[in-house]
Amino acid sequence: MIYRWTRVVHAGLPILTLGVCVEIFAGQLLQTSQHTLLLFPILFLTIPVINSVAGNIGSVLGARLASGLHVGSIEMSFKDATLRENVFTAIVLGSVTYFILSIGIYSLASYLDLTLGINLVEFVAIMVGAGITLVCIIALASVFTAVWSFKKGLDPDDMVAPVVTTLGDTLGIIFLFVFIGVIVL
Amino acid sequence: MLAREMVKQSLPLLVLCGIGAIVTGHVFSAMQDLFQPGSESFIPGLIVVIPAIIAMRGNISTALGSRLGSAYHLGIINEQDFFNQELSQNIIGSLTLSVIMSFVVGILAYFTSILLGFSPDIVKLVVIVVLAGTFSGIILSLLTVVIIYIVFKRGYDPDNITGPALATFGDIITILSIFGIAFFIGGVL
Repeated sequence: MIYRWTRVVHAGLPILTLGVCVEIFAGQLLQTSQHTLLLFPILFLTIPVINSVAGNIGSVLGARLASGLHVGSIEMSFKDATLRENVFTAIVLGSVTYFILSIGIYSLASYLDLTLGINLVEFVAIMVGAGITLVCIIALASVFTAVWSFKKGLDPDDMVAPVVTTLGDTLGIIFLFVFIGVIVL
Repeated sequence: MLAREMVKQSLPLLVLCGIGAIVTGHVFSAMQDLFQPGSESFIPGLIVVIPAIIAMRGNISTALGSRLGSAYHLGIINEQDFFNQELSQNIIGSLTLSVIMSFVVGILAYFTSILLGFSPDIVKLVVIVVLAGTFSGIILSLLTVVIIYIVFKRGYDPDNITGPALATFGDIITILSIFGIAFFIGGVL
């Protein structure tokens, strides 16, 4: 037997606790930025999507890297072609997903009358810009976490998901506000 | 081709999960009464819990899916040999983490709320979070088993599927669990 529940718990507790602390902080960040949120109501629809797509891409990439490292088909180096191809595909996948969803969200927002203060081109630029920046950082974080934990003898499967979702949730909000600042304000 | 396989299996799912995130956002805004001071069903401290417990749920579930994906690639779990010790150890581990972490979230939320000038009922808050965390943990574990089994049958790579699928279902199920249990406990305690 390779897996033991006690080891799963032991490996998960510290990183999950750290994640939860950061998430509580991110929640407060969101509360204090309510002013900007009310200025652009479309953001209520955008924030959960920006955060979840990045987290999902990061966890797909992390799961693939973890499997590769466990099986031995991926080397712990950026020179590894399979590793680079995985990272590149994840970033492309993220950019396409953000583009499709930005148009979807804008359509829904026009239907719900939430497009106040922003037009389609601006919105797509903001979401895709923030999204691509986020997904590049998340992809790198995913690689570093997977390789680092594997070297330390920890299971990358336990470590990558908490790191990428927490990063996605905090940086997603920050990048969104940065791109709004640059493009609209 | 690795890239083509990944795009083909993950892209439709990622778009679908993005739509799922919009739905979750809407369910969340429908719960507003629980967070508005002055409203009848207001539970102080609950708003602080939401992002943390959703993230915790997603992290524990995707890690479970990710481990089972590695187990599949290592050849220790597959369609023929499915309900074995490896699977049950992984699930017991995830459920234990869910209970402990929910408790941690409840306590942290209590202290954060005090810092923010609210005075939540610690028993109520912790009971709601632990019940919601455990309940959604059990449902998510069952769902993980179902999803992994379907993925095996279809011959897909579980690594491309479990993360997004579990994170999205996790968000919706967790929100509904908190919602349901908060109303129930709000009435009882």
